[in-house]
Amino acid sequence: MSGMSSTEVWLTIVGLTLVTVVTRGAFLLIGERINLPERVQHALRYAPACALAALVAPELLMQDGQVFLSFENFKLAAAVVAGVVMLTTRNVLFTMAVGMLLFTLLRLA
Amino acid sequence: MIRKAVFGAHPTLAAQRRAAFLRGMRIIAPGTVATAVWGLVTGVAMVKTGLTQAEALGMTLLVYAGSAQLAALPLIAAGAPVWVVLATALVVNLRFVIFSATLQPYFQRLSFGRRVLLGYLTTDLGVAVFVSRYGDCKPEERGSTEQVWVFLGMACANWLAWQPMSVAGIFLAAWVPGHWGLEFTAVLALMAIMLPMLGSKPAAAGAATAAVVAVLAAGFPLKLGLVVAVLCGMVVAMSFDFMLDRRRA
Repeated sequence: MSGMSSTEVWLTIVGLTLVTVVTRGAFLLIGERINLPERVQHALRYAPACALAALVAPELLMQDGQVFLSFENFKLAAAVVAGVVMLTTRNVLFTMAVGMLLFTLLRLA
Repeated sequence: MIRKAVFGAHPTLAAQRRAAFLRGMRIIAPGTVATAVWGLVTGVAMVKTGLTQAEALGMTLLVYAGSAQLAALPLIAAGAPVWVVLATALVVNLRFVIFSATLQPYFQRLSFGRRVLLGYLTTDLGVAVFVSRYGDCKPEERGSTEQVWVFLGMACANWLAWQPMSVAGIFLAAWVPGHWGLEFTAVLALMAIMLPMLGSKPAAAGAATAAVVAVLAAGFPLKLGLVVAVLCGMVVAMSFDFMLDRRRA
């Protein structure tokens, strides 16, 4: 059961599409009219790594809105091992497989 | 026919473009496994939150933004005002405004339509992989045919991994249990892509800062914590850069 009427849902979907186009397009849409200073461009190269860290950290370190640092935190435990695997093998798929396997085993054990 | 329409009529150029496009697809291939699983999870979540199949299909095919969709769903279910849903999605997507500035020097000379297309197809994974590969190239090398078509290949592979699985999730929602922890594959993939990017001190310090701030700011309204974390991380990374430069000078 949705709390919105069908019209409202479709209005939201159209609005969300515009949000995607505008945020992802943003500076690209301006095109050649601006040239970002070299120092800014350099800083912007750190954005993807920072964004990935900001997306991943709460998933690993929190549960139900609370910080959860413990051996009982199976996601964190699996991710630490998977992280070591990634740094030694540099194989993304293998890292995911090891992490997922360990997470599932810990959860079911 | 299709090949000519996509890559152009000039045989040598078309071959170069096609090779770069396929290389892009290969580079992102490991990550697309996570994209596919994440698409499935999002498809299931849309239907389980109460969207009809038509609404869910419309959302996934048009919006194409997993994290924004997942942030919007509980608000839609709760019957929040439309503008609150849009504002939340906007804030969740603000990191893409930063990414668009990251990509701008590379793609600024393309036509408006192409820039809109590349922007729309930008993903966290795509930007991360693109920057790890081309972030250090010389300014005059930016925006080469190779880079444009590698990016497009990555974007298309990601789209192809996302959409069918998302549609599958919409139709299989009744049979997919919510407690498999499948979404954890996406977290693992993002982490795996991130780790090799932390080779320099500024990058490592920036990412660590972003991680800590993201946790501390997790309760911020409208999911503002995410973009605040990214900005803090970038400021720290830049300061490190500045200090290292001064020490060298």
